[in-house]
Amino acid sequence: METSAKNSDRLTPLLRLNSIAKAFGAVNALKGVSFDLQPGEVHALLGENGAGKSTLIKIITGAHQPDSGAIEIAGESVSRLTPAMARKLGIACIYQQPALFLDLTVAENIALRLGAKNALHRVQWKENRENAEKFLRRVGASVAPDAEVRRLSMPEQQLVEIACAIGAGARIVIMDEPTASLTQKEQLLLYKVVRDLRGHGVGVIYISHRLEEIFALADRVTVLRDGESVATNNVDDIDETALIRMMVGREISQVYPLSQGAPGKTVLTLRGINCEAGGIRDISLEVCAGEILGLAGLVGAGRTELARVIFGVTPADAGEILLNGTTIFIDTPADAVAHGIAYLPEDRRRHGVILEMPIAANMTMAVHQKIFPQSWLRFAAERELADDYIRDLGIKAPGHDATASSLSGGNQQKVALARWLVAKPKVLILDEPTQGVDVGAKVEIHKLIRSLAAKGLAVIMISSDLPEIIGMSDRIAVMRGGTIVAQLPGGSDAHSVMAAALGQREAEGTHS
Amino acid sequence: MKGHLRELSPAFALAALLLLLAAFAPGFYQLHPLLSLFTREAPTLVMVCGMSLIIICRQIDISVGSQFAICSVCAGLLAAMHWPLALVLVASVVLGAVMGSINGLLVAVLQLPCIVVTLATMVTWRQGLNWLRQGEFVNLPDNAQWFGLGQVAGQCALISAALILLALMAFAARHLAAGRYIYAVGSDAEAARLAGIRPKRVTFATFALMGALTGLAAMMNLVQSPQVDPKSGTGLELKVIAAVVVGGVAISGGRGTLWGPFLGLLLLVAIGPALTQLHVEAYWEKALQGAIILLAVVAEGLRNRKEKVY
Amino acid sequence: MRAIPNLAARVKRIAVSHETILLFIVMAEWLYFNSVGRHFGSLDNTFDIVRQTVEIGLLALVMTPIILTGGIDLSLGSLLGLCAIAFGKLWRDAGLGIPSAIACTLAIGALAGGLNSMLITMLRLPPLIVTLGTYSLFRGLAEAITRGTDTFTNFPASFLFLGQERWHGMPAQFPIFLLVTIVVWLLVHRTTFGRCFRAIGFSPEGTRYAGIPVNRRLALAYVMAGTVAALAAITYTARLGQARADAGTGYELFAITAVVLGGTSIFGGIGSVHGTLLGVTAIAVLSNGLVHARQPREAAGVLTGLLLIAALTLSVLLKKVVDIRSSRQTVVEH
Repeated sequence: METSAKNSDRLTPLLRLNSIAKAFGAVNALKGVSFDLQPGEVHALLGENGAGKSTLIKIITGAHQPDSGAIEIAGESVSRLTPAMARKLGIACIYQQPALFLDLTVAENIALRLGAKNALHRVQWKENRENAEKFLRRVGASVAPDAEVRRLSMPEQQLVEIACAIGAGARIVIMDEPTASLTQKEQLLLYKVVRDLRGHGVGVIYISHRLEEIFALADRVTVLRDGESVATNNVDDIDETALIRMMVGREISQVYPLSQGAPGKTVLTLRGINCEAGGIRDISLEVCAGEILGLAGLVGAGRTELARVIFGVTPADAGEILLNGTTIFIDTPADAVAHGIAYLPEDRRRHGVILEMPIAANMTMAVHQKIFPQSWLRFAAERELADDYIRDLGIKAPGHDATASSLSGGNQQKVALARWLVAKPKVLILDEPTQGVDVGAKVEIHKLIRSLAAKGLAVIMISSDLPEIIGMSDRIAVMRGGTIVAQLPGGSDAHSVMAAALGQREAEGTHS
Repeated sequence: MKGHLRELSPAFALAALLLLLAAFAPGFYQLHPLLSLFTREAPTLVMVCGMSLIIICRQIDISVGSQFAICSVCAGLLAAMHWPLALVLVASVVLGAVMGSINGLLVAVLQLPCIVVTLATMVTWRQGLNWLRQGEFVNLPDNAQWFGLGQVAGQCALISAALILLALMAFAARHLAAGRYIYAVGSDAEAARLAGIRPKRVTFATFALMGALTGLAAMMNLVQSPQVDPKSGTGLELKVIAAVVVGGVAISGGRGTLWGPFLGLLLLVAIGPALTQLHVEAYWEKALQGAIILLAVVAEGLRNRKEKVY
Repeated sequence: MRAIPNLAARVKRIAVSHETILLFIVMAEWLYFNSVGRHFGSLDNTFDIVRQTVEIGLLALVMTPIILTGGIDLSLGSLLGLCAIAFGKLWRDAGLGIPSAIACTLAIGALAGGLNSMLITMLRLPPLIVTLGTYSLFRGLAEAITRGTDTFTNFPASFLFLGQERWHGMPAQFPIFLLVTIVVWLLVHRTTFGRCFRAIGFSPEGTRYAGIPVNRRLALAYVMAGTVAALAAITYTARLGQARADAGTGYELFAITAVVLGGTSIFGGIGSVHGTLLGVTAIAVLSNGLVHARQPREAAGVLTGLLLIAALTLSVLLKKVVDIRSSRQTVVEH
């Protein structure tokens, strides 16, 4: 692998990106990223959430068009890349959630992916099966070609996706956190597949948060941060600590509102919570009144899943939830709300607000009993309340009867937050509260969260923004693989949080 | 193989019913009543084939009963004008295909919900027919009876025609690319589009095929009686859908075969005569059919639950 | 300063709303038939229209909340038949008095609605297929109870009054219809339940995340529909003076047509009870008026079907236009 990396200058790269830039509205997702991929190379792409990795991938697969910059594939410049063109040029992407026909067999899925046939074409089941077997063997999958895809486990489905890519003759394979849901054994198998692909001259772009796997697998690694490429290094020339430093890299410049006074008595206690459907294992946790508990970890570490368990979306299979020292049972979100637990979901367009409904209706959604006694709607009271919150939170909206869909992301988030402020809960879980929100609104939301805590609320804040979680939290719990791996005091340095989240060995020492 | 599990429940139910009859009412197994039962249901089988594909494609068509009536009456009128029967058959199939295409256009191109579209066409066709014909029966010429073959030969011809069609359609659904596209679109239209299949075209074609098969079924029904009842086909859509659902085709699309609905149909139509033979009042037939449909639906629900659709 | 453009926008919105357009269509229908048919506009004929429409109207009213939640209930017509038979059976064979027979019938309707909602919410099955099954079951039970031929007649005059006589000058069943209309209208437009129906229709998951007991709200809609279908069975029996197993055949289709024609989106979330009322009126006036205009009754069916397709196509096209506009707006915002 050393040779392939060192000889790279002399080969024509499979893929070369020259200062690619892409903006979504006011947000600059990519600010001139250059990147290249050699044949027979595994090139790891590393970066925090929101660093621009997924945008970069979407540009390579033709799903997004760059605002500026050039794409070269196998030495040829490509001007407008579409998904169909990308596939024809041999670019395949394996997502965490495979896009397969769940109702059909593995062999048929692979056959359908290899291209549409004339309607009257006779399906060659035997040939399809043999083909499937061949491709599956190449990826080392022990999957029966006749198995229905819906009955396969997630890693098996991923292997089928890779087999599809190989069958279609892909030259550039992108893997987006392929091992996120795999067991140790399955991971080793996947590594073998990746090495095998490399041996056949395929270029692999490998996205992962697991440092050990980057060192085991990759030839080169590029670190992205805030839409810029920080550096590209040969893996042999760099160590874990340097990589983490490059990822975190920035000083915490923003000023966060300070914590006031010591936390009060314990409000929410979790004891031995397990939830198979959410992949949550053995979680015990306490949150006190007036405290902000930061829940750190990488995507897929189980943070949102834990929030869903507490809120009753996917109830726990085992364990105990105590509120102010009394055991409570939460089977549905309605139960959670009745007990005074509120959850601001991550996916605000699907869960946070109801897009087609007016702002006012969205705000009173969770407090029907409180605001509308005997179930009668009181439009005047609702209007007044909505206008109050629109003013207090500085929501930019044409009026309280404008639908939530007509607002910008930050203002939608404020409406979603207002819904829970109206409810006056005891526990507030915030899931990525400032994601996709501009800097000004971010500061306002931070102040708001702190003032809520000061009023005696127990706040759990999930965030992938490292400075935010360090700056805001009184205490930080780090999750990894569905369980809590470390609890750190507020104001810990970014390096130790990231190290725990990535599963670096030194992190074990900081366990409190 | 796991794929055949879905057909097992109707197969077992049918086997149980047949055994029950063999033990307590062997009178059920007489050639002539059975032959006429199968002949009567041969057209239904043809429509069940089409409906299976529609539901596999994640759609539904409740206008087929009205289409059936229109095709029957029009074919009857043409036959009464002494058109050659072969030509009448072609006309009936084409007419059905046109009505199916109208549904297909509205559903596939305009993306209207299939249930409301076919509800509207169901009412429109039925009431239009009543308007034009005012409930008048069409008297058929003698040569239209059993295609002029005589009763027993005609019965055998109809049954074998329906079975051959079933075999052909089952083959096409399993072994032709076109058939697999229907499964792919019903399973995941977006993934199908990404794989280069055109979901709109597939959906349209499936509706058109359903119409054509309805036209054929109308013709197969026509030759069995000396008159055409303009009310024929009332409630037929439900019987056809029930057979498909009982036959293990998933209402969520993408799963099922044509053999399951065949068994489902046998089960549903055997209940009536079976009740008579077992000295249960025949009025329970419809209620039992409803209960069987609900059972099939509940079984589907439990199955989905077990498979943990998150 | 802001109030004036708001008012103008409001007037504009009401003026081009589906309901207003439909109101004009109904008025045009009425004026046309009034000029063509001699007795069409008379009070007697108006009362005839009301009498003949009450049952379909009742079903359409309670179908509205169900369709608002994004569901559908195909079993209501069959349930009407089953309840009519149950009522006849309870009165004639079980020897119950009319009031207690009515009470029991309503309970049966509620129970049947409960069965629908249980299958839909607990097994998470699509309402379409569940109610297709109960459609067959309810009608089949009605036929089984009557052995296909039995009918119940000779009801006491005090009961028939409900369907055939006048009360304070209006058809006796009209107050019942009015009462149900008011209840359903208030429920949908003035209570949190109606809010929830819409929210479920827009986004069942989003509604769940707001802490609303979605399953209980759905149960309410289906149980209410079952109960009112039983009520419709009572007025139907009183109007015709007999209870038969085929009572209400096809009524569910007319009810759905009226609801969709009235501007309720079949995808849920959008719609109104007064729209449904207008939809029912449009269909009723059309079918009665065509008779007065010496056109066959069936023309009404054909026109209703075509109207339904036209209304749907229009709403889809309108939605596309709105979507394009709003997406343009968001682009401008950024």
